[in-house]
Amino acid sequence: MNKPRLGFFKYSCCAGCEFQTFYFQKHLAETLAAFDIVYAKMVLRGGAPEGPFDLALVEGTITEAWQVDELKKVRKNSTLLFAIGACAVNGGIPAIKALAPELEVEEKVYKDLSTIHSIRPQPINVYVPVDGYIRGCPPGARDLYEALTSVLAQKKPGFLTYSVCVECKLERNICILVAYGMPCMGPVTNAGCGALCPTYKRPCYSCFGAMKQANAPALAHKFRKLGLSEDDIRRKFTMFDANSAESRKAADFSED
Amino acid sequence: MFGNGMTGDPASRISDLLVPKASFFTWLDSLRERLSIIGPVAEEGRAVFREIASSGELYMEYESTMLSPGKVYLCSPREDLFRLSFGKGLSIEEPPRDSAQRIIVGIHACDTNAVLYLDRTFLGTFRDPLYEERRRNTILIALNCGTASKNCFCSSVGTGPFLKVESGYDMLLTDFGEDYLVEIKTAGARRLFDVDDIRGAGHEDFRLKDEKERSALRTFTKTINTEGLNKLLRENPEHPVWRHTAEERCLSCTNCVMVCPTCFCYDVVDEISMDMKTVRRYRQWDACQDTRFAEVHGGNFRARRSARLRQFVTHKLDQMHQYGVSGTVGCGRCITWCPTGIDLTEMAKQVQGK
Repeated sequence: MNKPRLGFFKYSCCAGCEFQTFYFQKHLAETLAAFDIVYAKMVLRGGAPEGPFDLALVEGTITEAWQVDELKKVRKNSTLLFAIGACAVNGGIPAIKALAPELEVEEKVYKDLSTIHSIRPQPINVYVPVDGYIRGCPPGARDLYEALTSVLAQKKPGFLTYSVCVECKLERNICILVAYGMPCMGPVTNAGCGALCPTYKRPCYSCFGAMKQANAPALAHKFRKLGLSEDDIRRKFTMFDANSAESRKAADFSED
Repeated sequence: MFGNGMTGDPASRISDLLVPKASFFTWLDSLRERLSIIGPVAEEGRAVFREIASSGELYMEYESTMLSPGKVYLCSPREDLFRLSFGKGLSIEEPPRDSAQRIIVGIHACDTNAVLYLDRTFLGTFRDPLYEERRRNTILIALNCGTASKNCFCSSVGTGPFLKVESGYDMLLTDFGEDYLVEIKTAGARRLFDVDDIRGAGHEDFRLKDEKERSALRTFTKTINTEGLNKLLRENPEHPVWRHTAEERCLSCTNCVMVCPTCFCYDVVDEISMDMKTVRRYRQWDACQDTRFAEVHGGNFRARRSARLRQFVTHKLDQMHQYGVSGTVGCGRCITWCPTGIDLTEMAKQVQGK
């Protein structure tokens, strides 16, 4: 059997996901052996950006028009296209700028706007259909492995849909939200990290984004009862996930 | 092998003894070379069950723990089932069995009843070999509760504060100040319990035990009236309490399920190696609050949060038809550890129109 042809594309982000995939993850050697790397700037000079690809991994938020054009081409040239990392999955940190008018944001950063062609930040599934979501910042080892092995086995990946609380309980951690009153985002955040922060008694900050059907307003209400200010609550729900409907509900809720 | 009630030992009282606490703990320490001893200890101000190195670590006055000892030590949170290898043929390799000999000491009445509930699931029509082995190798030393904490309602569902069932565990302790009243329930425990400094317990002692139970019963603040509740819950699947609670408070975070000592669902997961040559199959606790839990071909029969919340609450409160016993043991953990404090006894009261 031929090795699946892999392409890795980057838009607005820190490139941490590509770094994770090709330098840091536990199954690095197996990944490099199992896939035919056709295009990935971090491991291959040149490469063939036009593909075709059995699997395209796309990281980064879409914040410029050229990225949309390229992304659509990548989609056409790929059998499977997965979003990898918080930015591509739900907007990630760059999506914070969705909370203010473009001009205001641009003027805060740049003196001369004549060369700035930034557009509203969007996750990639706003522009192209996406076959799978490898969440996290950086992506969780479990989901990355599940995604890659599923492509190799030609099966549907079993991405996690439950909250971080499940992983936290499997680790038998005392709940830091209930026991110590820490403003933990775990109850509304998609699992995949193995409850990394709560295991070290740090409240989850939701880098994996809101899980499906997350009840963000109910958790925002709990945070209010813990004494968090409206600004703090809004920041908690928009740090990684400003674009998701679930998080926006909590943020909007906290403004009234 | 030890003779806990599961192996069919006579349920009648084998010995009732009064034992000085110091002698009891000395005996416990003497077992440590042969057995792993699990008991309640205080960690950062919270009670938790874990293996102890000495009885001096025990915190027998604990109120409740986040996870029940039965669920953690008998239904492992996550465990490997087998490894499949594709080579010239197909080979299956099972991990070494967990054959550790354990004592769980200080398990409260609610949690002991919860173990009996898990037995109905894992040692019923289908016998789960991993559970069965751990259960057979575990001695349960139960402890009657002297006081209720604020979310306890075992007295309303017949599972506490004093343990009433006579079999299925090995010993029962009641705190008598300087002494424990030790009721030995199995022949295996009788053989194991070689303490000299004892005296037989008589009528007076059991009168004192009854008195202690009455005083414990007076400390309960939370109650639930289960009379007719089965029928009422079944007749009100669309009661507004499900929707309201789901919208306003329920996070679908699954904490209620994970901390519940009688929630037994698990998920089976396959993990394939990158070279496609081996598959690791493991299982881990699963939760009906996950959106994917009831996803089947063609749809999801509990796609709404309110339906999932209702599933949990009715599985606890309306379960006489599954095993002939209530699904809740009244430990109150789902109330304590719910981030938004959802209280199933309050929901029941709303359905009851109170």
